[in-house]
Order: sequence, then structure tokens, then C-alpha cells
Amino acid sequence: MKTELSPRVRIALYGLLCVLLIPFVFPTWWMVTSSVKPISDIFAFPPDLWPRRFDWSTYQKVFELQPFAQQYWNSAYIAALVTIGTMIFSSMAGYAFARIKFPGANILFTIVLLGLLIPSEVTIVPLFQMFLTWGMINTHWPLILVPIFGAPSVFATFVMRQFFIALPGELEEAARVDGLGRFKIFWIIALPLAKPALGAVAIFTFLHSWNLYLEPIVFISSRNMFTLPQALTQFTDAYGGAMWNIQMAAATMTALPVLAVFIVAQKQFVEGLAHTGLKG
Amino acid sequence: MAPVTLHHVKKNYGDAPVIHGVDIDIADGEFVVLVGPSGCGKSTLLRMIAGLETISDGEVSIGSRVVNDLDPKDRDIAMVFQNYALYPHMTVETNMGFSLEHRGASKAEIAERVNWAADILGLVPLLKRYPRQLSGGQRQRVAMGRAIVRNPQVFLFDEPLSNLDAKLRVVMRGEIKSLHQRLGVTTVYVTHDQVEAMTMADKIVVMNAGKVEQIGAPLDLYDRPANQFVAGFIGSPSMNFIGGRITEQGFVAAGITLPLPAGVTGGNAVYGIRPEHFALASNGLPAKVLLVEPMGSETQVTMTLGESHVIGVFRERVQAKPGETITVAPEINNVHLFDASTGLRIN
Repeated sequence: MKTELSPRVRIALYGLLCVLLIPFVFPTWWMVTSSVKPISDIFAFPPDLWPRRFDWSTYQKVFELQPFAQQYWNSAYIAALVTIGTMIFSSMAGYAFARIKFPGANILFTIVLLGLLIPSEVTIVPLFQMFLTWGMINTHWPLILVPIFGAPSVFATFVMRQFFIALPGELEEAARVDGLGRFKIFWIIALPLAKPALGAVAIFTFLHSWNLYLEPIVFISSRNMFTLPQALTQFTDAYGGAMWNIQMAAATMTALPVLAVFIVAQKQFVEGLAHTGLKG
Repeated sequence: MAPVTLHHVKKNYGDAPVIHGVDIDIADGEFVVLVGPSGCGKSTLLRMIAGLETISDGEVSIGSRVVNDLDPKDRDIAMVFQNYALYPHMTVETNMGFSLEHRGASKAEIAERVNWAADILGLVPLLKRYPRQLSGGQRQRVAMGRAIVRNPQVFLFDEPLSNLDAKLRVVMRGEIKSLHQRLGVTTVYVTHDQVEAMTMADKIVVMNAGKVEQIGAPLDLYDRPANQFVAGFIGSPSMNFIGGRITEQGFVAAGITLPLPAGVTGGNAVYGIRPEHFALASNGLPAKVLLVEPMGSETQVTMTLGESHVIGVFRERVQAKPGETITVAPEINNVHLFDASTGLRIN
């Protein structure tokens, strides 16, 4: 039964929510406003929540100081490939773990999950040596292959498995009677029904790849090959001091796709993750 | 259309046998109902016919082919599932035409067959809807439509009405029966509801613990059950059973002696009589009334006969109250006697 809140309680509740919102909203607000302030205004005391003067040239300088468009493209296409690759592999692996009975399936799945317990810092040196052997250093291959076959894919496989476990077995049996083989059952019946989970996997994977920092700084060394998180550290003056307003302008542009993805797909993200509960 | 034959069919899960060598002959166009309590193996047997379960031993034939090693899609069967199993992301039309599409039928043929099936089942206005937009009864009809659209040799139904409310179940029961009469396709139907079995079947297979207890026409099973299990399972309310001994004076049970049909000999036995085979008779046996349930067309009376609790169903409106005594007489020609140790029919 729903309880109707009194106006006073409601106002107090909204006030509390507004206070709790500050730590989440303020950094973004500061980043955006700082991107159009002259650098001296950023450090003014007391700080200005609204810029006294607007300096839009910072956005132009981002592109003058770095091959920012190229770096933007690098991040975009790498994130896209990682997302597509992870969706393909994790959905197939999740389906196999959920629906195909084979000896040792549970043990194998546990071993796969154990991969999540290994921090990426632990494996970075062996990975560097491996990609060095394969001649892939200072290419984008490590940034594509490591997430697709690494921790993000393991998490995605878990999400997909939990979804497929909850899929009614009779649907597959009906499809078998209707003439479908295993792969077609996956492709035509199971996968279209897994859209919420796939959506969650896509968003999570895209964001992970978009924000990836450790791997780019280890595997990439030339500016044209940089991804955005790596590029953001490069807006410095001749003495190594950060050019804060330009950096904030670059950071604002970097954050835009992330915000867009969240705004457009947040419902699907929540729905998809809800399916990873203990339903199976 | 094709006959279906099960010859000594067995199913084991690991070392545990669940189907113990079943033999059933289903004639071309026959409507056969597999009935039994939960866990008796009837659904497993149906799934073995469908190819959804492997066969541990024995042979399943559809038409002249042994289908043990064939995939479900190659057996030329169609199945209606308990939960309908409609594809949620496809419209009614796509659901119904799905199997034809994946068997390489032309678009024109698919449309023709889907429209034909939809017309029979009254689904034409629903063709563009999704399963989530349909009621339980409509979903059930779509599931049947999906089955008939392909014109298979055998229909398999796995408790298709168990998710429907009582009223709709009666309606759909009639629809399935009339569909069978219209199409004449061999049908194997699984249910745990003996009323469904009695009203729909040409032939009933009563199963218990992975074995066939009896095969026969509904009224044959009702009138001459082969054993105590079938006698108790078929009929509602169930047959009354009274344990005792056959003697020359009659059937001696605790606190009462019951009349026996002529020519019956033996020792310890179980006396079976259906509730409707008691008659109110002034010279009958005294029975103490425990409960009176007037149903309108008949009255159901729970009573004590000797020391046994029995149920009687009378066309007359019984006015007796709990605690009072009435006199009842069992119809001797409708008495069933079972061996006390084996449960097999004696008379």
C-alpha cells in the first residue's frame, strides 16, 4: 500500500536529496564552468560558481595543442570494436554456460569468474611482453584485445549467463521442434530476448573502454595513437604545469559521449543489471 | 497422420530408471491421453516421442519409421507446451508461420497456411499482436495454431490446459476435441486431470511410477479397472475401497458384511464400489452420515459403513443430517474386487 507523504516531509526529503546530489553534480559543474574561464579565474577566492568572463578559445586550443580529433576517433572506434566484440563473445559464452550441459561447466565458469579477482596491474607486464613479442606495441590491438578477452568480458559473460538461465526452457524446445539447431536457437530466439542484458553489457563495456587509462599509457607512445584519457594528461605548459582551463575543455568534450550514453540508455542499463540477480 | 508405436521403451536418468519398458500402440488418427499422478513419467514419455528426451532402450516409431535417433524437427510432429512457449518477440502471425519459414516454405504458402489455421481457431483479428497482448486462452489457441499450421503427422500436447482457469479449461477442452475431429491427426495428450482424460480420449493410458497400469477406452477403464490404482485414479469422487475377506456369507469387513456378486471366491481382498453405485434402500445397510453436500443435480454424502468411511452420490435429495443413520445398498453388479496383496482385479 502506498503511503501519501505530507508536504513537509516531502519538502524535507527533496532538500535532503538536493544536498546528497552536490558531491555528484559539483565536479561536473566545476569541469564545465572551468573550461570557459581564464586560468586565473579558476583559482579565484572565493571561487566563482558561474564564470565572470567566458573564454571559449579554450575549446579551439584543445585541437591546436594535440591531434585531438584523431585521438577522439581513436577512442571512439576502439570503444566500438571492444563493445561489439565483447557483446558477441560474452553472449555466446553466457549462453553456453547457461543452456548447454557439458562436463565441468560449473568448474569452468568458476575459473572464468576468478579472472575478475586478478587486478589489471598484475597482468600488465606479462601482457606487455606478449604484445611486444607479437609486434603490437604502439598499435591499438592491445587496447582492443585485452578488454575483449579480459575482465570486462568476464563480467559481461556473467551478466549474459544470468539472463539466459532465466529463459524458459520450453522456448528452446519449441524452437527445436520447429526445426532450429543450437546456433539458430541462440541467434533467432535467445539473443533477441536478451536485449536488456545486451544493452547493459554494451554500456558497461563502452564506458570501460572509453575510460581505459592504464593500458594506453603502457602500450601506446605516439600522440597520434593516444586515446582520450591519455591525451588529457598532455595539456601542459613548457614547465609541465597543467593548463587547467584547456584540460577542462578537453575533459568536457571527453565526457559528452558518456553522458549521452547514460541519458539515452540508463533504463536499459538498470533493467539489464536487474536480470543478473539471483533469479536463476 | 500416422500411427505411433512404443515398443518396450525405457528411460534412465543415470542409474535411476524412470520409465520401465512401456508398450503402447496408437492407431492412425487416434486421440490417446496419457494420464497419471505427478511424477509418473507421462510427460517424459511424451518428450521421448517428441525427441526432446533420449530413449535409453526400446523403440519409438512414427508411421513406418523408427525415430529413436531423429531430431525433433525430423519426426514430423508438432507440440503444444504447458506454458505455450510462444516466442515473445514475434507476432502471432510470425509465431504461427515460424516452423514453415524454417523449413523453406514460400511466403505465399506460409500466408495461406497461417490464415487457414487462424481462421479455424478464430485468431484472424489477433495475427498482428504479440503474445504479451493476449489472454491465456488466446495464447493457448495460438500455440495450437502453431502446431496445426504445419500439418504434422502427430500432435503432442503436454498438459496444455493446466494454466487456464476452470471455465476456460472446459471451453478449450471442447475446442481441442473438435479440432481433432476436424483434422483427424493422431494425437497424444498428457494430463494429470482424469476428467480431461475421460472426456477427450479415444483411448486412455493410465501410468503410475513409470509403468503402464492399463490401456483402454475411457468407459472400459471406468467400468472394469484392471487394478486398484486405476480404479482409484479414474472417477471423481474416487472409488470407495474397503479392506476385508471374501467368505460364503459375503464380504466381511470391519463392523459390517457386504453383499458379493455370485461366484466369487478367495481370501483377503479389497471391496471397491463407486460412489454412484450406492442406492438408498430401506432394507440396505446402516450408514452413519458424516457430511451432506447437496450439488443440485445430486447429493454427495460422506458416511461410515461399518468402520470404513465411504462416499455415496445419490440422485435423490438426501435430507439426513450429520449423525443420523441412513440405509444404503451397494449395486452388486458394480462391485469391484481386488487382491489385497497385488491390487489386481479378482472378479
